[in-house]
Amino acid sequence: MAEDLAVYAVVHQPRRLKLPAQPISQGAKVRDIERCLFDEELNERYFRKVAMYCYYPATEVFLELVNQGFKLAIGFSESFLRQAEAWDKRLLALFQKLVRHPNVELVGVEPYHSFLPLFDLFMFQRRIRWAQDNLEKVFGKRPLVTDTTEMLMSDGIYHALHGLGFSGAFLDGREWVLGWREPTYLYHQGKDLMLLARHYRLSDDVGYRFSNRSWWGYPLMADAYAHWLRETRGDFVFLAWDYETFGEHHSKETGIFDFMWRLPEELSHRKVTLLTPSEAIAKYKERSFHLPLPAYPCTWAGEGGMEFFLGNPVQQALFQLMLYAYNKALLTKNRGLIDLALWLSQSDNLHLIQWFGRSGSDAEVSAYFTPKEWWNLGPTSIAWEMQQVYKNFIKAMDAYL
Amino acid sequence: MRRRNITAENTDFIILCFEGPDRYSLAGGLGVRVTNLSQALARMGFPTHLFFVGDPWRRDEEVSNGGRLTLHRWCQWISKYYPAGVYQGENEKLYDFNESIPPFVVEHIVRPAVAQEKLVVILGEEWHTAEAMCRISNLLYSNGFRDRVVMFWTANNTMSFDRINWDRLSYTTTITTVSKYMKHIMRGMGVNPLVIPNGIPKSLLGKVDEGAAARLRRNLDADLILAKVARWDPDKRWNMAVEATAKLKARGRRTVLLARGGIEPHGEEVMANSRYLGLVAKEARAKGDTFEDYFDAIKGHSMADILNLKFYIPQKFLRVIYRASDAVLANSSHEPFGLVGLEAMAAGGIVFTGGTGEDYAISFHNSIVLETSDPKEIEVYMMYLEEHPEEEERIRRAARRTARQFTWEEVVENLIQKLEYQARSQGLLATPRKTPALDPRSLEFEEAVPEATPVGSV
Repeated sequence: MAEDLAVYAVVHQPRRLKLPAQPISQGAKVRDIERCLFDEELNERYFRKVAMYCYYPATEVFLELVNQGFKLAIGFSESFLRQAEAWDKRLLALFQKLVRHPNVELVGVEPYHSFLPLFDLFMFQRRIRWAQDNLEKVFGKRPLVTDTTEMLMSDGIYHALHGLGFSGAFLDGREWVLGWREPTYLYHQGKDLMLLARHYRLSDDVGYRFSNRSWWGYPLMADAYAHWLRETRGDFVFLAWDYETFGEHHSKETGIFDFMWRLPEELSHRKVTLLTPSEAIAKYKERSFHLPLPAYPCTWAGEGGMEFFLGNPVQQALFQLMLYAYNKALLTKNRGLIDLALWLSQSDNLHLIQWFGRSGSDAEVSAYFTPKEWWNLGPTSIAWEMQQVYKNFIKAMDAYL
Repeated sequence: MRRRNITAENTDFIILCFEGPDRYSLAGGLGVRVTNLSQALARMGFPTHLFFVGDPWRRDEEVSNGGRLTLHRWCQWISKYYPAGVYQGENEKLYDFNESIPPFVVEHIVRPAVAQEKLVVILGEEWHTAEAMCRISNLLYSNGFRDRVVMFWTANNTMSFDRINWDRLSYTTTITTVSKYMKHIMRGMGVNPLVIPNGIPKSLLGKVDEGAAARLRRNLDADLILAKVARWDPDKRWNMAVEATAKLKARGRRTVLLARGGIEPHGEEVMANSRYLGLVAKEARAKGDTFEDYFDAIKGHSMADILNLKFYIPQKFLRVIYRASDAVLANSSHEPFGLVGLEAMAAGGIVFTGGTGEDYAISFHNSIVLETSDPKEIEVYMMYLEEHPEEEERIRRAARRTARQFTWEEVVENLIQKLEYQARSQGLLATPRKTPALDPRSLEFEEAVPEATPVGSV
């Protein structure tokens, strides 16, 4: 039975598009194009809301927990860091304090939370390297283990990350990837880069189901959860969540903070040891197992495949525009435009329209993340206006070619 | 305590319009209208804010009229990409206008005014401001101020009526228009606007430089001078004017049409038509901004039947042209108000109007009202006036008298009456009651009669 536990949380805020799409002036400078693409007022509003309900209280809780011996791996998107730098430096300082703690491991993340790993692995490598350097600058620690975007992993992504010298990376432990294997062992695909497989069922018990009153496990108590973790077959359990799980996805009133307060003690009673991802790699590297990775990327979103992001025609159309915008920006050789195209490659833009033409729990999650201000437009216009943002950008680049 | 009337002490005005006083922002009558309206309000003492798509290279905010008029140049960050004027990049500007003006107006003007217990009047001009007006109303409502603000939205034309959400607009604002003609068009769409006419500045009633007018006539050396100032638009009936010129020429009368159009492509069609009719068209371009420059531009075209004036003409010189001409052809087939006609009348010009929105025009009293699009109608009236100079003189005098009734000061009085009506409906002003005639037998009750009895609540 699993004796060790590694916990990871990623902090991310999307850079939401400005809807309805703002027309862009012919010949507009990059900063004016940028002003038309993104709704920074809306972003600030959501940032402040999440900071109040999640980032501050959750970070206070984790600070206290790591002081008591809890271990945590944490990743930050550049998207979040820019917003914190612009709108709440005190919060950034609080996160810096958390990351400085020896029980906290800083993890690399694709900086703009983009889908770059799907379409330009070379640029993806450059961006991950940039994020590694930047995170070291911001937090004083250099990430040795990395996440990607939405925990994307594939054969190609594995090789790209291996080329950067990371010791470990993450993937979601779905059956269609693992086959007969359990997610509770350390894996590799023939190189030094080790893979921690997220235990998606146990992770989602907290991440998705914790406040679901119709779930058979409701209400989830720390002792029961610790018991489940301990009784899981394998070497170690790897749990991974959005950081916003704590206080935002599940409000304080659901008891999520009380649950986290109690969890370390319950784990300790059951002799479960907490490890950082690097410690787990060090401990289990010698008996890690080969895992052939699929050419198709897997992700922690939805059912674990790209259908969550590319499963409906509206998402497919937007993805085409994303690719076109990116490639046209490369043609301009203008760094500012390439940077904007990378922002537009943010996965959230496909996540937010997963609900289009769908129903069910995944669609509910997707609709939850769609800004409420957009719903006045109606579903079809949301999809149309999002496409229009990309089309406007694509057209605006004509002046640079 | 509620006020009884709208006064300069208790009311702030805000005007929203795409056009405005900058040369960059002047495209037609609308820019002239808001410039004069805002100045008239400021002259009457009202603190007035004019928001418009301003010259990108001038200050974003400018205060004049002793601090009473504040010009807010909007969309400048977009306008710098569109040097050709207010309507270039229209959609880009419109987005920014709708998005950024409402919160600015509510936070920076309405909130402080309400804190001082003042009433705020917001006037929106033309379809470009319809969405912004609705959004301002929503913002005011969510801030608890909506009942402290009177909002009028004015249609100056029927352009882009299809882009207006009329239900929403008429729910959030009081809709007005500039003429009975417009009112009846709009009634067909299910709205019933109040009519508040356009106006002209009092300064236009001053004497025209008769010496300059005589010099212009000498320079042109023509039997008949026609003038037309309008966009190159089929609605303006440029071809009717050109064909009338040809007919008068065919009668052996040396006729010159002074034409001042815009940048619209219809101008090319009109010029092609004039060549087809055997007319000689020349372009006149001024090298500077003085009367001498204008005269230099105009003289030396003795062969021209049509003189296409390709330079900016200030109002002062326009008045000279109106006065010097035998007819100012304001002969539109669709004219919501007809500001050019009124301006020409103020200069003592003989105006030939179309038969639509010119509520001020009475044929053969102060102008000639054309009933058809037949150029022969112009030709016949021109010949009649040439044969009856005393009639022509009488019409010129009557025209100036009429213009006096349409100065902005007069129009603003009318506007304020209607605003007060709306403010009373909102409970912002006390409703006056007629004081009962005193009965000598009951003088002891005199003091019990209230000055004004408030009705309803604010």
